[in-house]
Amino acid sequence: MPGVIVENLSGKKLATLVAVLLVCQFCCFLFGGLIAPKPSIADTVLATKCHDSGNNSDAWFYVRGKGKCKSIDLHTLNTEDHMMLANQIVFAFQIPSPRDNTILDYSRWQQNLIGILTLDIAYHADSEMDPRTIINLNARLGYNNKGDPEGDWKLYASSFEERTLDCSIETKRDGYHYTCSFIPMFELGSLHHDFYLLNIRLPVDSEKHINERLGHIEDMWLVVINQTGGFTKVWMTMKTMFFPFIVGIMIWFYKRVHMLNREPVLLEYMLMFLGCALIFLNAPLELLTLWYDMPFMLLLADIRQGIFYAALLSFWLVFAGEHMMENNKSQLKSYWKHLSGVAIGCISLFIFDVCERGIQLRNPFYSIWVTDIGTNLALTFIILAGISAGVYFMFLSFMIWCVFTNISMKRQALPSMSSMRRLHYEGIIYRFKFLMLATLLCAAMTVIGFILGRVSDGRYKWEEDFFLEYTSAFFTGIYGMWNIYIFALLVFYAPSHKQWPSEPDVSCINNDEIVFSRLPTEPSEISSLTSFSRKTALD
Amino acid sequence: MDPFVHSSLRSKHRGRISSRLTWLDNSTGNDALIEQGRRCPKGPQCHSRMSVPIQKQEVELLYKELLQGQESFRQNCDRGCRETAFIYAITSAAVTHAVARSCSEGSIESCTCDYSHQAVAPSPGPGPGLVRDWEWGGCSDNIDFGFKFSREFVDTGERGRSLREKMNLHNNEAGRAHVVAGMRQECKCHGMSGSCTVKTCWMRLPNLRAVGDSLKDRFDGASRVMVGNAGSTRVNAAGKKNRYNFQLKPYNPEHKPPGPKDLVYLESSPGFCERNPRLGIQGTHGRQCNDTSIGVDGCDLMCCGRGYRTQEVLVTERCHCTFHWCCEVICKTCRSKKTVHTCL
Repeated sequence: MPGVIVENLSGKKLATLVAVLLVCQFCCFLFGGLIAPKPSIADTVLATKCHDSGNNSDAWFYVRGKGKCKSIDLHTLNTEDHMMLANQIVFAFQIPSPRDNTILDYSRWQQNLIGILTLDIAYHADSEMDPRTIINLNARLGYNNKGDPEGDWKLYASSFEERTLDCSIETKRDGYHYTCSFIPMFELGSLHHDFYLLNIRLPVDSEKHINERLGHIEDMWLVVINQTGGFTKVWMTMKTMFFPFIVGIMIWFYKRVHMLNREPVLLEYMLMFLGCALIFLNAPLELLTLWYDMPFMLLLADIRQGIFYAALLSFWLVFAGEHMMENNKSQLKSYWKHLSGVAIGCISLFIFDVCERGIQLRNPFYSIWVTDIGTNLALTFIILAGISAGVYFMFLSFMIWCVFTNISMKRQALPSMSSMRRLHYEGIIYRFKFLMLATLLCAAMTVIGFILGRVSDGRYKWEEDFFLEYTSAFFTGIYGMWNIYIFALLVFYAPSHKQWPSEPDVSCINNDEIVFSRLPTEPSEISSLTSFSRKTALD
Repeated sequence: MDPFVHSSLRSKHRGRISSRLTWLDNSTGNDALIEQGRRCPKGPQCHSRMSVPIQKQEVELLYKELLQGQESFRQNCDRGCRETAFIYAITSAAVTHAVARSCSEGSIESCTCDYSHQAVAPSPGPGPGLVRDWEWGGCSDNIDFGFKFSREFVDTGERGRSLREKMNLHNNEAGRAHVVAGMRQECKCHGMSGSCTVKTCWMRLPNLRAVGDSLKDRFDGASRVMVGNAGSTRVNAAGKKNRYNFQLKPYNPEHKPPGPKDLVYLESSPGFCERNPRLGIQGTHGRQCNDTSIGVDGCDLMCCGRGYRTQEVLVTERCHCTFHWCCEVICKTCRSKKTVHTCL
């Protein structure tokens, strides 16, 4: 009567396998911590204020290189000297900034680019600004590549955007700056070009009441966040390393299941689905961005992660349900109530993502959060996802609780069995509990790691040499952990071909076992815990 | 370079400027702007020159003022009084701030990248190593370069051997510490679906006014230090950095030793109440004071107990101004009566 591998594995083998997996896990953690740099880095760029003497809304204003713009200083700008229109001031950001007398350029390994604006607005008693001001920006993003003629900027995107600015001030004295919230500006899903140029104007239109209530903007800073190339390299290495392993174990699992002379059971289907989702997640598709411009990569990465989470969450539900030991549910249909929570959550997150990142494919300046309707819509979807997550966890914990009460109830029946069989069943229960524990441990590790990361983030490290890059270690560690977890699941829950070693001699000892051994003859290859539960139910 | 600055800078400083800073913009057009800023015309756009120095000339200008400040204070307190401490601290803070700012603007091209990670072999200076570092892990915050530049530039010549040099070093460090402490952290979440699984933080450079304010607070609570055994430089293996590694001893043994952000001075300031041409002190006779303030601008303190005269004068000034971004200020002219207090 063969079961799954975990039941037939000797304690020594199990310990060795677990030890090897734990060592792999530790290596993943160190791999990220010792080799990778921070996952992403922010660079602050101060705007150069260019003067547009005409009204050349099609011209590019750039900071470096031949034909750079005529820069002005807004601090010393005087009403009497310059009769200037707001539209003639162009805030120009040419990124990346030069360092060490070298003109740097973005590498495609740096994957994506996020731009955030922060404004330095000076307080003046004459013109106090509202705590909440609408600011309208005319933004144009251009790009240029190495080898292109200098100043030959090509349009990437342009948009007229409205943003809300929340400002407060403590010491109300002239010249002091407001503390303002930052303004999310753009998100690029691919960093395909070498140089980027952002031109921003703050036009004033008294008829349409555009930018009328703005204070005295002295400076504009652009914070550009990009993934670090080193992290991408380490990440891609991890993915490409895990990819063949998971593919291999999936093929092995598939073969093993199909070698049996029965239809695969639900749990095996779920495992295969989970494995496929992980293969899809592991596939190093990001490498293609090194050659092709794929701005949809951010959206695709979200979808891939979403599918994986959906598979993992559904697997846990089915796993708990299949070990209820009460009635033999073996169809996905019977789980529709439980799984609908996962489905609703995932679909609402997907819709939210398409609304945010999908539209960003057309307009990188777009953000769903900047308008009130968009914010409400986004919040609706996120709250919906949150509620379904809550419902899901209630269901799951209820089911796990049921499984454990069942196990402890059945365990009371154990003393009435022969010692050999009892030891065997105790072992099985122990191993099931062990895997439950492993799941809990993985989940707890993820949460603890996340919280630790938040705590260590709060402190700014000044001149501190710490040898471990914690954030990267967290990402690679967690990623490796779930890979190893699923690898272990596929190994442990693959059907075993080993014959039940104690069955022939035990079954002939007393009639208690004879009844038991006769029972599972029809479905000959089901998990022995299920058979155990049936047996105890018969007792 | 401005000839006055050139003559007043020590040769070491000149070397520092030319070797460490490569300025993009060598045009002299900025001089006019600086001059304009210095004269500080009236109106809402007018700020003190101190607010944001941005160009090479301004760093030089600041340094010129430092030297002038040192010169004028050398007359009245040669061994270092409170005011000297403040001048040193604010100068070093301003240099740090200005350089960091200019790095962000890209107007200094020689700001270092300073990214060093163990996995990548350290490769200082420009070349393929820099590009590799930048691609691998990005560059450090510009404040790092500002800090280092300020240490190299402002602290030139202060070897930290005499107590006065130690005082200067301490105050310079304090100025820089205030810039760093004034930086605010801001973060952005950009993980899956914009969640906080991935969060990136950056530091926002403080307004120099705020740095000045916190230094002014330390000026009021500056600690007097004295020659003592504890004032000796601790020798350690850090090499170059050990000149900052000393602890000054408070004059009053019951006081706490000064911390890294405290200002220190060696001798009490001369009285500023009476005119003293020899020390270059103007005295406070005839100065306007504020009768409601209890600080140094209050009539009680400023007039040194001599009393003050109160007058009512008719003033014409701009009022009810409305400001429109970017460059329009519409004001009315008001005539009003004002009470003015003047020290006797």
